[in-house]
Amino acid sequence: MANEKPLHAGFLRFVGSLAFGLCLIGMPAKAHAANNCPWLNEATASGFLGGDATGAFTAADGQPSVCTFTNRDAGATRVLQITVEIAAEPHALLTTAARACGADIAPIGAIGNEAMMCSLTERKGELGERVVGRVRNQVFTIVFSSTLKDDPILTRDALRVRGYTAAEQVAGNLF
Amino acid sequence: MRKFAVSIFAALVLAGCWMVPSLAQQQQDGSALTPPPAYMAPPKGTPPVEDTPAQREALAKLKAKAEERTEAERKAHNELVTPAYNFRYGPKNPYTPGNIQVQGEGFIQPGAFPTAEYCGTCHQEAYSQWRQALHSNAFRTPFYRTSVNLLIRDKTRGISFARHCDSCHNPIGVLGGALTEDSKLDRAKFDSDGLTCMTCHSVTKVNSTNGNAGVEMGVPAVMVDENGNRIPGMVSFEQILRHPERHSKAVMHDFLHTPEFCAACHKANLPDTLNDYKFIRAFTAYDEWQQSKFSQRNPLTFYTADFTTCQGCHMKRNPVSLPEYGAKNGTFASHRWLAGNTAVPFYYGFDQQLQKTIDFLRSGNYLNVDIFALKKASDDKLIAPLGRVSYNLAPSDVVEAYVVVQNKNIGHSLIPEVRDLYEAWTEFTVKDSSGKEIYHSGFLKPDGMLDPRAHSFTNRPVTDEGEFVDNHKVWTIHSVAYDNTVQAGRSVLVRYQFRLPADISGAVTVTAKVNYRHLRQSYLNNIFGKDDHPAYPIVEIASRTRVLQIGENQPEAVDPADNPDWMRWNNLGIALLDQFQYAESVAAFTEVIKLRHDYVDGYTNVGLTEIVWEKYGSARTAIRKALTLDPNNARALYYDGLLQRRAGNTAQEISDFNKVVEQFPQSRDARRELGITYYQQKNEHAALEQFEALQAIDPDDLTAHYNLSILYRRMGRAKEAAEQQAMFVDKKVDPGAPTYSLNYLRIHPEISTESIPWHMHSDLLSDEGGTEHGK
Repeated sequence: MANEKPLHAGFLRFVGSLAFGLCLIGMPAKAHAANNCPWLNEATASGFLGGDATGAFTAADGQPSVCTFTNRDAGATRVLQITVEIAAEPHALLTTAARACGADIAPIGAIGNEAMMCSLTERKGELGERVVGRVRNQVFTIVFSSTLKDDPILTRDALRVRGYTAAEQVAGNLF
Repeated sequence: MRKFAVSIFAALVLAGCWMVPSLAQQQQDGSALTPPPAYMAPPKGTPPVEDTPAQREALAKLKAKAEERTEAERKAHNELVTPAYNFRYGPKNPYTPGNIQVQGEGFIQPGAFPTAEYCGTCHQEAYSQWRQALHSNAFRTPFYRTSVNLLIRDKTRGISFARHCDSCHNPIGVLGGALTEDSKLDRAKFDSDGLTCMTCHSVTKVNSTNGNAGVEMGVPAVMVDENGNRIPGMVSFEQILRHPERHSKAVMHDFLHTPEFCAACHKANLPDTLNDYKFIRAFTAYDEWQQSKFSQRNPLTFYTADFTTCQGCHMKRNPVSLPEYGAKNGTFASHRWLAGNTAVPFYYGFDQQLQKTIDFLRSGNYLNVDIFALKKASDDKLIAPLGRVSYNLAPSDVVEAYVVVQNKNIGHSLIPEVRDLYEAWTEFTVKDSSGKEIYHSGFLKPDGMLDPRAHSFTNRPVTDEGEFVDNHKVWTIHSVAYDNTVQAGRSVLVRYQFRLPADISGAVTVTAKVNYRHLRQSYLNNIFGKDDHPAYPIVEIASRTRVLQIGENQPEAVDPADNPDWMRWNNLGIALLDQFQYAESVAAFTEVIKLRHDYVDGYTNVGLTEIVWEKYGSARTAIRKALTLDPNNARALYYDGLLQRRAGNTAQEISDFNKVVEQFPQSRDARRELGITYYQQKNEHAALEQFEALQAIDPDDLTAHYNLSILYRRMGRAKEAAEQQAMFVDKKVDPGAPTYSLNYLRIHPEISTESIPWHMHSDLLSDEGGTEHGK
């Protein structure tokens, strides 16, 4: 019995930590902590991912800045990642970024100075959408991905629409 | 214990999933709309359908449920938004510096606004037009975002200041509480729709004509019940089609047809809450309309016209081509709001909107360009009106051309709004018989920038450092270095000087055009980067070409597109008056009288010019003649009132102004002068009545603020007196502001002559090496 107390306390600490962690992951938009992603807020990202998403933003001098929003559902993890890089030769960098798309890349109008979109090739059963574009010398990449091959929320059609809308949001904030 | 942990885990997972926001659909046209439900409009005059008691009861239940749901959602929304919201201007002013308000408590959830797609189901024509129009794209365009982002990123301001702009550009975001540092709102649900259907159609009251979104938004409703009570949110199409009259009552308020409604956003000022300086008028298409001939509220216009509202020009009825249940006799009021913005349809590839905008700008006989006169350097005589008189030209002649641009049928100024961004200018060319250019002003340089010495109908706002506010950072504006607008119904004289080559012979072709583009090249460069965007459309709004002969020139046949001769002289007189060239102006108006002895306004024009020239004796003669021809002419009576005041004939002065006010109760000038007269006569209550009426017409009138502050104080109304005094001080032009303009003009000699009303465009050099301006 003498050892039970510390065990019990440890378990409660574990539950507390678990609860806190889950709150961070799965908490509704109502209670999201401040997110400092300059191009998209968590509520908007949550809308794109079809459920509450938590965001992380990293910025470093000389490196691309990255916002990552993650939504974890019962059977799927959906991620929206935005990368922004300032380039001396932005068009060239955009062309390089577009190479990741492969052949099915298509230009999309009225996003930034120029933008393109493609479906991500299926890798390890994943599904996604990529938008690359630029606003002046700021090159951005937006990647939607889901661990579900037949994601009922991020369907192929939904991805296309959400990719465009996300690009409009990001480009709008980069202007 | 384990069960306990699993329960907590399950509960938290469930909690994590309890809100699944949906995504606003991106629809560029009406193709994605649901087909409309079947409907056959009843014959005209058919009374509304009578509901059975059961139907009334069902509707009452529906209303109660809708109200309960809307209120609950609003409460939840406020619990989410309010704690993190930046109440910079206090909890009672959540939308300041904008003037927008919303009914009910706290922020309103974006979901309370039925979507454009919902409306578009039955209004497909309206939807497809709106989708391409400026209103739907009011927020998302790069042209707007670049500007508002500068405010958001400004180190001493931030997103809360952007409520000033977004109150008109993104009202759902403002009223929803999205404009704060840590926004909790899904912006994709409303940003792309800017001014959606249910923003304009949910306004329940126009609070003032102060602009900056001076309206009260109701809780959106598309139906009222049998007692006229609003039912919030969406209802079934079946309900609407059963009672279209109730739908109409909810969404079609009478004020939607009035210019006062447009004033809410087509009038803007920069308040001290934005610029930390003072009130500065930004633009006011509404007041310009009110002062134009189209309002029939101003007796002092140079010309008259049928009453026409903003909607009369910008929402003309057109035949419908898509299902549109709001159509009447197969036509529907345009929801394209065609005006001058070519940049947005160009950027989005809305070809139809772009072409219609270009057609609109070229239609309507909005401007008249008249190459009115020539003047040779060797001779003081004005050769005018060109085409109607004989004259000679010789090689080597130095010639001055008078180009008169008349704002003939625009109900506001050229350019009415943000003339720091939009660019209209005169392009003037002189070519010999082989097409070789002799003179060219108003050309575009290879980098797309306008010839800096062109005559442009733009302005140059400057900061307190005298720097041009090139990127629309309006909160930094402290002064305006020049403002070359042409108000409605008025004209401007643009003078060009050129030398004919020594070896020239034959015909000389002279062309004057007014070109327009949206936007200035340097602003496009700010948005997209220099050399990083295509050339944006340039529209030729009006032009006139005349062919001159070296040697003798005879009068020509009249071109039916030209103004009649008397009007050509009249426009010159107006232009000269506005350039403070009073003697020449009187001479021009006298030519009008020679051509039209019975034209009352000809005499009045002479009289009013002489009044501002302080030649009261001859002014009296002219005005007396006008009143002999038409004793009740309000315009002549107004100027007679001024002359009677000068002569000390107070009774006649009051009588004159009263007659004007009787005919034109919304004449701000007559109200102002009558108020001054009563004030001078110590008739304080009569003066108060006039100044209050004046303020109701123009809430920014300084004379009204000044005199009301004194009158209220004398009457013991200290609080109102203090308010008027404060508004007077805030709105009065800062006497130090011209210094900032001078700083700008000093370092920009290439453009500084634009600030001088009477200036010449010339590339001839004087003996001192400068251009021969002002000769």
